[in-house]
Amino acid sequence: MRDVILSLLAKEPAHGYELRQRLVHALGPAGGALNPGQVYVTLSRLERAGLVEAREVAQPSQPDKKVYELTASGLERVVEWFNDLTWSKVAPLEFHLKLVAAAATRLADPVALVDSQRLELLRELRQLQELALREPPDSDGALLLEGASLRLQADIRWLEVCRQRFVEREATR
Amino acid sequence: MRRPGLAVRLAARNLRRRPGQALLLLLTPTIATGVLGVALSLYGSADEPWNRTWRATEGFHVAFTVYHPPDEAGDRALVDTLRRRATQLTGAPGVVAVGGPRSHLYGSIRLAGGTEDLTAEVRDPGPYQVDQPLVTSGRWLGEGGGVVLESGLAATLRAGPGDTVTIQGRPFPVRGVAQTVSRGRFPLSRPAQVWVTPETARQLRALGMTEEGFELQLRLADPARAADFAAAHRSLEAVPSSSSVVPYLETWQQRRSESHSDIDILAGTLFAAGTLIAILAVATASVLIAGRMAAQIRQVGTLKAVGVTPRQVMLVLLVEHLAVAAAATAVGLGIGRLLAPPIAATSVTLLGRPEPPPLTVTRVLIVAAVAVAVVLLGTVRPALRGIRQSTLRSLAAGPRPPRHPGRLAGLAARAGMPLPGVLGLRSAWRRPGRLATNATGLALGVAMIVVALALRDSVELLQLRPPEPGHAASDAAVAVLYDQIRAVIFGTAGLLLVLATINAWIVATFAARDAARNQAVLRAVGATPRQTVIALIVSQLAACAIAVALGIPLGLGLWRLMEGGDLPEVHLSATSLVLLAAAVPVAFAVIVSVPARLLARQPVAPLLAYE
Amino acid sequence: MDLEVEAGEAVSVMGPSGCGKSTLLHLLGGLERPDAGELYLGGVRVDGLSETRWAVFRRRNVGFVFQAFHLVDELTAVENVELPALLVGGSRRAARRRAMELLDRLGVAGRAGHLPDRLSGGEQQRVAVARALVNEPLVLLADEPTGNLDSRATGEILRLFGELGQAGQALLTVTHDARVASTADRLLTMRDGAIVAQTRLGAGTSVAGLLASLADLAGER
Repeated sequence: MRDVILSLLAKEPAHGYELRQRLVHALGPAGGALNPGQVYVTLSRLERAGLVEAREVAQPSQPDKKVYELTASGLERVVEWFNDLTWSKVAPLEFHLKLVAAAATRLADPVALVDSQRLELLRELRQLQELALREPPDSDGALLLEGASLRLQADIRWLEVCRQRFVEREATR
Repeated sequence: MRRPGLAVRLAARNLRRRPGQALLLLLTPTIATGVLGVALSLYGSADEPWNRTWRATEGFHVAFTVYHPPDEAGDRALVDTLRRRATQLTGAPGVVAVGGPRSHLYGSIRLAGGTEDLTAEVRDPGPYQVDQPLVTSGRWLGEGGGVVLESGLAATLRAGPGDTVTIQGRPFPVRGVAQTVSRGRFPLSRPAQVWVTPETARQLRALGMTEEGFELQLRLADPARAADFAAAHRSLEAVPSSSSVVPYLETWQQRRSESHSDIDILAGTLFAAGTLIAILAVATASVLIAGRMAAQIRQVGTLKAVGVTPRQVMLVLLVEHLAVAAAATAVGLGIGRLLAPPIAATSVTLLGRPEPPPLTVTRVLIVAAVAVAVVLLGTVRPALRGIRQSTLRSLAAGPRPPRHPGRLAGLAARAGMPLPGVLGLRSAWRRPGRLATNATGLALGVAMIVVALALRDSVELLQLRPPEPGHAASDAAVAVLYDQIRAVIFGTAGLLLVLATINAWIVATFAARDAARNQAVLRAVGATPRQTVIALIVSQLAACAIAVALGIPLGLGLWRLMEGGDLPEVHLSATSLVLLAAAVPVAFAVIVSVPARLLARQPVAPLLAYE
Repeated sequence: MDLEVEAGEAVSVMGPSGCGKSTLLHLLGGLERPDAGELYLGGVRVDGLSETRWAVFRRRNVGFVFQAFHLVDELTAVENVELPALLVGGSRRAARRRAMELLDRLGVAGRAGHLPDRLSGGEQQRVAVARALVNEPLVLLADEPTGNLDSRATGEILRLFGELGQAGQALLTVTHDARVASTADRLLTMRDGAIVAQTRLGAGTSVAGLLASLADLAGER
């Protein structure tokens, strides 16, 4: 989140509310679920870390607003972030461990686990499709949704592979 | 190519994989080479028996013949001059033997159904240094009178020793029958001939036979120099143009080449027929090969992908097709040697058992050239296209997409033609090159049928000509020849029809295969099997319609070139042409409907599966 | 197997390759014959129909969409679309009008006069869908409709199928793309020639996954 906020400030200084709007806009339908306070908390953390500095701006008929601006090290950090290649959450680690545990402890049938998880993912996928229908085709929001649905598709495919593997293991037992 | 054996092995495997197709590919040029082989083996097959008789009878090397019409008194002096010139000739260098001069008398002999012109050659008692006719039954001239018949005349009269013939209205006993090479055999060579003694000749003169001329025959030290000898003495033939006396000097080779006009005509007809058939065979082979190409194009693409160069690919194709051409040549020549003797044996001019002439390099090359032409001309266009196609395209092996939507089909659709018909037309227009090739092949077939019809009518007219007096028997013999020629014409037309049918069948089959996917799509969209069959037939009929439109004028034009000379002018009636124009598409539709229906019966689903 | 598809229902069939889902589709459309059993389409018994009768029935009541598009390559796009309408016997003008309407609705009206080899994959498939819909069929049968398409075209088809489902067109889609399958109301899973599971894909937990990603993002720093 911190790097995201920093990058949003890289274009031009802005105050908290503007930043939040920009973020919501970029997130499309996911933007509505954003915690309102999250942005301000992050901004103050960044200020303490010396990556942004705040200025008071006088306004005619409203209380003073805090406008945030990138510092030099803030800008450095943004460039570093752009060049960073870390990717979040490649493998569904938790589910994998769940399956292995189920097979070992025999407390649940791995194949049944896979089947029900797959159906749940399909339902999520369906929801994503419906959301996607409401977005204009070339928008950023549609792009995000496509990323999410492709990931789900990959996960579903992996679940089918898991199923086959565990069925084979049962057969050879 | 580093491994020529590879090309040969690939070629052999290709041919073995589809034996039916390979067989058809072999059959097509073989029909042409077979006919040409017979023609070439026929031509000159009478030479050997002639040569045998020539050797056995001490035949002449050079003959000096003088004909003069019996009534011209003013020519007598000229004839005497010519006799003196002839006598001088006997002393010329190179002459080793002399026969004659022998007188010829002119009259008539009675045959069943009329009289026939007759020449009686007057012979002193033998032996003869030149031309001792070969007695085949009875005896030669001698004590006791009687005439000796030339063998052809004897065969026509069905007379032999002991029988009587009627010459100048009087009976004369037949003493014997003999063969000679001095004259062609009756009845194709006219007039009929008998030999008589000087006594009998006096009787004949008293009965009204007239002096017609004489003949001097010479044998040379070297028979091969006969032509030079004749050229050296060409001046003997010089006579004033106002005179009706005809002297001429002839070599034995010339006489031989004129003696078998029926075989020559038959051979010539067969050669012409073979040429026509070869042309149609090129079109048929082209269609066959194009179809094989489409099936082989995957192999071409795979080879190219593996790094085989286009030149090497061409080599494989070349090997395959040259193998076929070689086989067609061998079979054609074999058929020729096999069939020529029995065909020649039907000739009336033979002097013995016919023998096909020895296989010269020229003859082999002619037949081979035709076989190679048929196969190669058919290969060129499809091969070039196949090689030039990009590798990926070859591997995908789909048919080429159309260049632009057909306008004719749009018109047809607007005119209210039913949907399957419109689709059929569209499909035909998709491949203008193939449409043109198919139409050409069929047009040739139609043209040949037109020529055959015209020829038949013309020959009928010839036969209907009133026979000239004095030629009853020979006319009958010529009629036999006409029958043979007619048989050749109809045989040719039949073979052409076979080729055209093969053509139509192959085209339809490959078109059906090409159209299989589109037909499956149509079925999936709700077209009935019948509608898809109709679409396919219509697409083929497009070529047929063009063929009829082009073929009939083409045939009429070809006939115009051929007629004249001996063949009387003939105008095919409009009715027969209209009937032809109607019958061809119907027959074609019937032929094409078979592969079309076979295709429609195939299951649709596999064609729609994604590969 | 026993299978029922209601009017206006969107059903998808998923399964590994070789499980027979394409065969099922072909059977439903009459492109293959069942060895045993009964098949009813729109209340009419169709399993015993002859090839000809099936063709007549199919042109009016069934629309096919294939993975390989299978447009007739010598006809232009609009001619392909109006083909079933002409087969049914409509007037040429009416067929052409309806075809253009559909092409317009699907966003490919500008390519109406082009031959299939000049169209992109996505455009070809949309033309194929238009062709399948031209006679307002009882059911649209789709066999891996996105199998040959790039991601943009797949997106277009997903959108399209979603809209069609919402508009009330009965759809049966065979696929192994989960995204396509999830556009349906009901999902069937096939294995080895039999249907082993049937589920209704109702509302899922809305955007739960997305929020989880956001949470990750927030929690990282």
